[in-house]
Amino acid sequence: MAVRPCESPGPAPATRPDGSVTWEPQVRHLYVHVPFCAHKCEYCAFYSEVPRGDLMERYVKALGRELERVAADLRPRTIFFGGGTPSLLPLRLWERLLRQMDRLHLLGAAEFTIECNPATVSADKARLFRDFGVNRVSLGVQSLDEALLERLGRIHSRRQVFESWETLRAAGFEHLNLDLMFAIPGQTLAVWRATLREALALGSEHLSTYEVIYEEDTPLFAQLRAGRFEVDEDLACAMYDELLEAAAAAGYRQYEVANFARHDGPSETPLPTHACRHNVNYWRGGSFYGLGPSATSYVRGVRTRNAANTLRYCAALETGRRAVEFREALPPLARAGEAAAFGVRMVRGWPFADFTRLTGFDLRREWAEDLAWLVARGLGEISPEAFRLTRRGLRFADLAAERLLRPAPPD
Amino acid sequence: MDVAHIRNFSIIAHIDHGKTTLSDRLLHRTGTISDREMQEQLLDSMDLERERGITIKAHPVTMHYRAKHGETYELNLIDTPGHVDFSYEVSRSLSACEGALLVVDAAQGVEAQTVANVHLAMRQNLTIIPVINKIDLPHANVDLVKTQLEDILAIPADTAILASAKEGIGIDEILEAIVHRIPPPKPTGAPSLQALCFDSYFDTYKGVVTHVRVFNGEVRPGMLVKLLHTGKTYEVKEVGSFNPKPYVRDRLEVGETGYLTANIKSPKEVKMGDTFTDAKHPSPALPGFQEVHPMVFSGLYPINTADYEHLKANLAKLQLNDPAFVYTPESSVALGFGFRCGFLGLLHLEIVQERLRRHYGMDIIATYPSVVYRVKLTDGTIKEVDNPAYLPEPTSIDHIEEPIVKAYIICPNEYIGDMMALISEKRGVLDHTETLDTRRVMLTATLPLNEILIDFHDRIKSLTHGYGSMDYEHAGYQVSDMVKLEMLVNGEPVDAFSCIVHRDKAEARGRALAAKLKEVIPRQQFAVAIQAAIGGKIIARETVSAFRKDVTAKCYGGDITRKRKLLEKQKEGKKRMKSIGSVDIPQEAFIEVLKA
Repeated sequence: MAVRPCESPGPAPATRPDGSVTWEPQVRHLYVHVPFCAHKCEYCAFYSEVPRGDLMERYVKALGRELERVAADLRPRTIFFGGGTPSLLPLRLWERLLRQMDRLHLLGAAEFTIECNPATVSADKARLFRDFGVNRVSLGVQSLDEALLERLGRIHSRRQVFESWETLRAAGFEHLNLDLMFAIPGQTLAVWRATLREALALGSEHLSTYEVIYEEDTPLFAQLRAGRFEVDEDLACAMYDELLEAAAAAGYRQYEVANFARHDGPSETPLPTHACRHNVNYWRGGSFYGLGPSATSYVRGVRTRNAANTLRYCAALETGRRAVEFREALPPLARAGEAAAFGVRMVRGWPFADFTRLTGFDLRREWAEDLAWLVARGLGEISPEAFRLTRRGLRFADLAAERLLRPAPPD
Repeated sequence: MDVAHIRNFSIIAHIDHGKTTLSDRLLHRTGTISDREMQEQLLDSMDLERERGITIKAHPVTMHYRAKHGETYELNLIDTPGHVDFSYEVSRSLSACEGALLVVDAAQGVEAQTVANVHLAMRQNLTIIPVINKIDLPHANVDLVKTQLEDILAIPADTAILASAKEGIGIDEILEAIVHRIPPPKPTGAPSLQALCFDSYFDTYKGVVTHVRVFNGEVRPGMLVKLLHTGKTYEVKEVGSFNPKPYVRDRLEVGETGYLTANIKSPKEVKMGDTFTDAKHPSPALPGFQEVHPMVFSGLYPINTADYEHLKANLAKLQLNDPAFVYTPESSVALGFGFRCGFLGLLHLEIVQERLRRHYGMDIIATYPSVVYRVKLTDGTIKEVDNPAYLPEPTSIDHIEEPIVKAYIICPNEYIGDMMALISEKRGVLDHTETLDTRRVMLTATLPLNEILIDFHDRIKSLTHGYGSMDYEHAGYQVSDMVKLEMLVNGEPVDAFSCIVHRDKAEARGRALAAKLKEVIPRQQFAVAIQAAIGGKIIARETVSAFRKDVTAKCYGGDITRKRKLLEKQKEGKKRMKSIGSVDIPQEAFIEVLKA
């Protein structure tokens, strides 16, 4: 397998394990989208389809080609397989894919996550993952209430959550994440409390909990539009409060609007021990390759997105073309504005040094008015080292983001 | 034409009682318009004015009629605005006449507008020829209408002519009555020309074309004439009449009606009711001249701020043919740049707005209309205030007077209770009640103009299921306990919603406005207090509760572009908002409230 020679494209920003910004010769973060689902969930706007015929085979082959194209510019420190339902790929395809990654010298990441649906976790897959260096599994639980699982269109049951949990632990995974959703239509505070209690009792290292988003083109959005239910902001707030409290009591440290992780070791570290470094890189504006149908890459300031159609994606790569269908290169200030806007989602906010290292701009100077505006409203606070949102400000991260963005002039 | 063979007359009628059809029929019978033109006229589509039964502008039309006894007469039909908003204009038009046809619908009988117009005509000492029209209708009740004529209007019933303009019945009798009953014009005996201006329109080529009635002397092209109230002198360029199209004549003689042009550039120079006289040998002015003052004011703003210049140009165009309409630039924190506009009355306001919307396709918003208050200050001076923003501090006010009207309301008997309740709700005083016939009554009431600005007419219509009618005439001023109601958003007054109201009404209005504002002000990151206040005292309060969060959802690498675009759009949207007391309010919210 010949790795295509690559002209040196210059350094790309990346994220160190402590969350700080660094520039490195190659891209250090890799996302792979596995676009298959056994069944589309009611809330989901990600691209996925029900696999048919040899589509999975073709996909793995095409993905292999895409990996080949970027391998020379990629030395992953974090890898994240998301979906869709990555765990839906059959064992032999996984094996083929991981072997190829190995040949391309793409394995060995410090953090290697695969998203799994509790219904599709098997002991042999778990073992295979372990064998190839996967050290983190994100389990898409969403809820532990049977009725709500049904409501959301999830294919798994409560029981399967606990079973897959056991399977993963048995396979030696010491780094597990649970995805939970709240403010689901029909979810009461009591139901949410029960789910939280049970989930926390499992003792995962990481917790991603987020409010239902009503994205256009989802059945849930259509139902909302049709007036089948109403959004209760007060209830959502109560659930979020409950979450913050319960997570803290269970020893989790919140490090982003919707993310919590366990921490061991010295108390004052920038990130909790088990924070997901891959996601931190997104909020820090680092470069990453995103492969697979519909996946987004952000490499050296250029954002591209692959075709959101598996057949088109495969066809492009089979004929030696890239599957890119969208490209965006913002001017420097707009790019920096974006980094400012999304970086403040992290509890730590933006250390000024990191921001300048990433963007070349001084957050204190270029955004002085906006920072003051946020501080004046009790939404932000400035220390000599960093700007961060307050506890209340984190709930208005969108408002802060809106202020911090520097829209590009129309082209 | 010698004076003895000239007749000047108007037609007065309630909406839809057949004024237009009768005019057309008279023009047709006298051969002024052809059969074909008659057809076209009758089929004429309903435009804005016809729809509302209000002709603001129509040319005086000259007809030649050969009477039964063989002599030919020049009959000048002078149109009047059909609504008492234009009562001064109506009175000027009427004063150009010696008589009037009073048209009453045989099925509907005397209506409120009929009463108001007849009063105006009587004040001008016109000979009134009652015409009971539409006698061919199955529901026609001629006897009842006759009784009403006598009882309500004190017009002898036996003088009424029975007609159907639509069917051509009674037209000859009407023409004969015009000749025989209406007196010929009488020269005033002044030493020279006296010509009354009773209307004008603007012609791009000729300048202002003035409608005149010659009361004394004659007017020819080349003559130097002077407008007595402005003192300006002009050389007459052209005189003529309408048949109904304008035609040039060599002169207009005493008693005649027509138009004159004299290179007058601005319609503002020609005031309704002014007198043209011979500049070299001036005669005194004809009686009855008044400066017209707008009675109702409202701010007009373009909904799209970029349309400001466009609106300005259109207002200027409107004013060319409607000098009673006035406007000056003003600005509002909430609505941006616009114009303070003055109108003769409610209907005038509506017409101007409708014209801007329909004829000029403008998207405009009007602020809450205000009447003109007379504010007597403690230092004894009197200040006229038409904009709440300029109301002096309460401490420097001795008292405030507000304009009042005399309103005529005619409705079926069973609604008399509703009408009385409505009048009292509107701070009115019922002066008297008259029975019109077995079914209907007429209520005469004195009401503050400010109270009938908004929904009075609509309320009458809806309370009486469409059977009630209302008209009014201005009736001076009265002292009232008026206060300035301010709406505050987080402590900051919102100028567009300030208004001058009676103290008894302030609380209810304040509460209603606060409730409405609560509906339209978007939630913010903090609670927003909406208050209604009189002189600093809060009389109503609503709170828009704060957003408790705007995000608790996830956002990863693939979401960023989409999310960024969404936020940029929101940011862009906020730029268009007005910030009042640090509360971001979209302009649409103000418009929502003003429309309600």
